[in-house]
Amino acid sequence: MAPFYKYGFFSEQTGLIVALILGISFGFWLERSGFGYSRKLALQFYFKDNTVLYVMFTAILVAMLGVLFFSLFGWLDITKIYINPTYIWAQLIGGLILGVGFAIGGYCPGTSVVGAVTGHIDALFFLGGAMTGMFVFGEMFPSIEDLYNWGYMGNVRLSDVLNVSSGVVAFAAVVLAIVMFKGAEWAQNRFGKEVL
Amino acid sequence: MKEKPFWSPYAGGIGLGITLLLAFVFMGRGLGASGAMMRFTTWVVDVFAHDHVMANPYFAKYAEHPFSNWLVFEIIGVMIGGFLSGMLAGRNKWRTGRGPNITKHKRWLLAFIGGAIMGFGARLSRGCTSGLALTGGATLAVGGWVFMFAVFGAAFATAYFVRKQWI
Amino acid sequence: MKEVAITSGRMNHGVDPLLHAWGWEIPLYLFLGGLVAGILFFSAFFYLRHRENVFTAAIKVAPLYTPVFLAIGLAALFLDLSHKLYFWRLYTTIRWESPMSWGAWTLLFIFPLSVIWAAFWVKDVYPNWDWKFPIIEKTIAWLAQFKKWFAWSLILFSGILGMYTGILLSAFNARPFWNTSILGPLFLVSGLSTGAAFILLISRSEQERHRFSQIDSFLIGTELFLIIHMFMGFLASTSVQIHAAEMFLGGPYTAIFWTFVVGIGLLLPLLIEIMELRGVTVPAVIPAMLVLFGGLMLRFVVVDAGQSSRWLYKFMEQLVF
Repeated sequence: MAPFYKYGFFSEQTGLIVALILGISFGFWLERSGFGYSRKLALQFYFKDNTVLYVMFTAILVAMLGVLFFSLFGWLDITKIYINPTYIWAQLIGGLILGVGFAIGGYCPGTSVVGAVTGHIDALFFLGGAMTGMFVFGEMFPSIEDLYNWGYMGNVRLSDVLNVSSGVVAFAAVVLAIVMFKGAEWAQNRFGKEVL
Repeated sequence: MKEKPFWSPYAGGIGLGITLLLAFVFMGRGLGASGAMMRFTTWVVDVFAHDHVMANPYFAKYAEHPFSNWLVFEIIGVMIGGFLSGMLAGRNKWRTGRGPNITKHKRWLLAFIGGAIMGFGARLSRGCTSGLALTGGATLAVGGWVFMFAVFGAAFATAYFVRKQWI
Repeated sequence: MKEVAITSGRMNHGVDPLLHAWGWEIPLYLFLGGLVAGILFFSAFFYLRHRENVFTAAIKVAPLYTPVFLAIGLAALFLDLSHKLYFWRLYTTIRWESPMSWGAWTLLFIFPLSVIWAAFWVKDVYPNWDWKFPIIEKTIAWLAQFKKWFAWSLILFSGILGMYTGILLSAFNARPFWNTSILGPLFLVSGLSTGAAFILLISRSEQERHRFSQIDSFLIGTELFLIIHMFMGFLASTSVQIHAAEMFLGGPYTAIFWTFVVGIGLLLPLLIEIMELRGVTVPAVIPAMLVLFGGLMLRFVVVDAGQSSRWLYKFMEQLVF
């Protein structure tokens, strides 16, 4: 029964080796899709290159459907999976700030690591900046602790809030993704395609 | 060697999705990136000012030795995987990603500023695009989806003001 | 009621030996010793094969670093000694059965040998070099007629030095993790491979880099083979040995050993070097640095883990802790 680690199939130390292997795969696929290149990422926000949207939503759909089907077949104990806790206002504000940083800096933390190891100098500057930002956040933490904990809702999933089964939410997510893919394709043709 | 083209975004998405799925199956948790960077930042601060780190509740939480953490090992893996992939495609070269209308140095400055903004935002929302949007999105966590639309919304809104940088 | 009396003085302070007595000094010394052995071996070996003009970095440039490395290593070793003023007593005796004695005498020979060997090549590397005192120049010129003999003795002593760094540990039969005869060959091969990596790092000739990439990948392959056999040997042995191996198979050293030593230090450079030999362009610096890093980590992990493995471990765990 998966998740294997939670059922004690291997120790925490072995889990770190699993982390390394998963990380290698993660980095490999990020680089293959061109996520080490800041301009390619940023052109998403001008509707010129939809790679970010396609890759991200395809990945979410594959993992989401995988988790749902595996738990349906009884292979995966979904209650043991870590669900990110929701602090709705903190995450909304944090997301807005991060989005601004994304458009200006051209990377997000994971992709900047890939950018840095493939020789993108701007990624190195971005990493330095990100660590500075995190340092500033840590320094400011005592005064913004209330903001950080604003809107706590527990480990809730969309299906809990909307009061429907997770299958329905998953179906809605698939439909949403298809609509967004089509819309983005239309926009890409309208704003001038520039796929790198 | 000539640079090879990037693979189809759908192939990349499926590859990433399977990786994420395997993370759930093996570890019961998703992938991430900014947590490892926070650990590294704390470690650097810790080297210079240990008492200061211990006095701050946020730093103290991350003050373990960096090599003990799951995400740190994952990020080391990301570095290896990214490097190998870039090497196989002949893409490992020193360069700066930028649009045709901006100088290298301005781009570096903006990358640093953008990084600082993002670092701050990532800590406020407890995750970044990998740790919260991708992982939370796949587990249908409410925070993950709210965060994802906030990121895209803000990025599209800001894009107009920095268009000289990219197009 | 059944009363069990355990008679032991173990709970008293200072009865058990100090278990983690070695810090960073010994692993650094073992690493530098292996590295020097590797460099000198390749230098002497390719000198005897008359490759001076092809493998310049290996034969002429790399040996210039060896006296420095040895000096740093010996300084680290000296720092570790508790009775610093009595080290000379090692030289009052020759004991065939003691690796300490072997090591002390080998170092006594190889240090001057490496200085002389380096002195032979200084003028080739720095054409404007001036020895200042004519006596030195004359001595070197006189010694140079025995170059071949020096090369042969270097091969002999570098082999002993490389082996000894591992045998030194395996002679501690109270440490189950060290008490394996594979440690000697493993450290020798690792030393040779770090030596080849160092040559790769400083070489500027395409042909030389290609050759040393090949040598290095072969050595890394051997090293992996030895590591696998070491663990197979442990697992087929007594329960203390199995316990020692389990520190690496799920225990506290698992992640650091398999990721940093085997993954980043061996498999990754092997993969990169194979790619490179097949025509993918990579800066040769990267696999070389990784191999050197892996060699250093191997020493650190083995020295640290060995000190954590002990005979009474399980027994004590049940009784006292």
